[in-house]
Amino acid sequence: MFKWSIIFENLPFLLAGAWTTLSLTVVSMIFATVAGLLVGLLNMFGGRVIGAITRVYIEAVRGTPALLLILIVYYALPRIGLNLPQFPAAAVSLAVCYAAYIAEVFRSAVESIPKGQSEAAFSLGMSQAQTLRHVILPQTFRRVLPPLANEFAALIKDTSLVAFISMEDLLFKAKIIGARTYNVFSPYIGAAIIYLIMTTPVMQWSRNLEKKVE
Amino acid sequence: MTGDTMVSQGKLLVVDELHKSFGSLEVIKGVSFDMDFKERLVLMGPSGSGKSTLVRCINWIEPPSAGRITFDGKLVESGKYDIRRLREDIGMVFQQFNVFPHLTALQNVALGPIAVKKVARKTAETEAMELLAKVGLSHRADHKPAQMSGGEQQRVAIARALAMHPKLMLFDEPTSSIDVELIHEVLDVMVKLADEGMTMIVVTHEIGFAKEVADRVIFMDQGLIIESGSPSEVFEHPQQERTQSFLSKVLLA
Ligand SMILES: Nc1ncnc2c1ncn2[C@@H]1O[C@H](COP(=O)(O)OP(=O)(O)O)[C@@H](O)[C@H]1O
Ligand SMILES: [Mg+2]
Repeated sequence: MFKWSIIFENLPFLLAGAWTTLSLTVVSMIFATVAGLLVGLLNMFGGRVIGAITRVYIEAVRGTPALLLILIVYYALPRIGLNLPQFPAAAVSLAVCYAAYIAEVFRSAVESIPKGQSEAAFSLGMSQAQTLRHVILPQTFRRVLPPLANEFAALIKDTSLVAFISMEDLLFKAKIIGARTYNVFSPYIGAAIIYLIMTTPVMQWSRNLEKKVE
Repeated sequence: MTGDTMVSQGKLLVVDELHKSFGSLEVIKGVSFDMDFKERLVLMGPSGSGKSTLVRCINWIEPPSAGRITFDGKLVESGKYDIRRLREDIGMVFQQFNVFPHLTALQNVALGPIAVKKVARKTAETEAMELLAKVGLSHRADHKPAQMSGGEQQRVAIARALAMHPKLMLFDEPTSSIDVELIHEVLDVMVKLADEGMTMIVVTHEIGFAKEVADRVIFMDQGLIIESGSPSEVFEHPQQERTQSFLSKVLLA
């Protein structure tokens, strides 16, 4: 039966998990954003070969479960000598995964800038790189924030996949409490509430930004 | 062939048998003309006749499919003449302004010299202020395009092009997207430029402007030059039927 008391008694334990969830999200998101910007730019402006390679990466990642990537990095890479501790392994997998989504976010933002903008920059004698830096990217940053915030909220939820490599994130802690108290209902509801407390403001912020950009 | 080199020496621009296709659609079908320094050329013709494409080929925004362009005595070819150098020397003003919305008027004008010519920010901004004064927009220096009228945005775009000290200015229907009552603001600036001796190619249907400013009017139809001459020749005694019918439509409008 659902009991608030179980949630409250185990709150510090749950919050420790939430801290892991949040720090993993933030670290993964930072790497994913930098890598996603890079991959997106290479995909658009890197020429044929690099364009094709990055496209394969983006589609491969988008077409496979994130969990698979986590399992490969944590369990399979050590077989070829690449041993990563839990947190870095989880962060790398999630960053590799989300970089693909974020590359697409940047690509569609860049493509939404009217062609006349780069033509005007080119007509001044600017190179492709100068055009990107001074004209295109400054205009994409505002358009990119709402979808990035959405990815951030999605990532908060997707970090729960690391429970599969026994990382003690929010979900895993809830599971432990469930096993200990023979009450699965209460800790899972508690975890859900904490997840919502983390994701709702981010999604609301994203929605507000979206209105502003329009 | 040796003749060509001779001719091109006194000319700012020589366009020789230019062709441009988009896929299987040939839009420019062999256009040749040349321009002296300080010459003012007005380009007219019905919509879809290839005026924009021709103008955009001159600064390689659209790379030509065939033909030769000689600018300031140098043959323009990818590789031989640095396309970016060419674009520094040719200013372009677009129908849709294409001002940079994230920058103020001043920053719009100063960006080219700062980014391309590596001019110091202070110097670039001082000159940008002078150019804004020249187009009558000193009071708008710190405004962003969204706060400005079409006529003001287009004048910022003109100042932005002038900041690179171009040898040739291309105008592609600079007043077609501007409210009628603001068109004169832009035309006045262009007349002033012409008076100062700027070499320019202007795509426009403003007959009054053409009569006042143009040394030569070129008529295009279906990717070809069908008629060219002084404004009085072309407007008062058009030789081609297509020119006549086009003119009668423009004059009625
Ligand atoms: N990027 C493009 N791709 C395909 N067709 C184009 C492109 N730009 C122009 N065209 C075509 O070329 C023709 C000439 O267009 P344009 O040069 O814009 O004419 P104008 O400026 O005289 O109205 C039109 O049929 C137009 O549809
Ligand atoms: Mg046009």
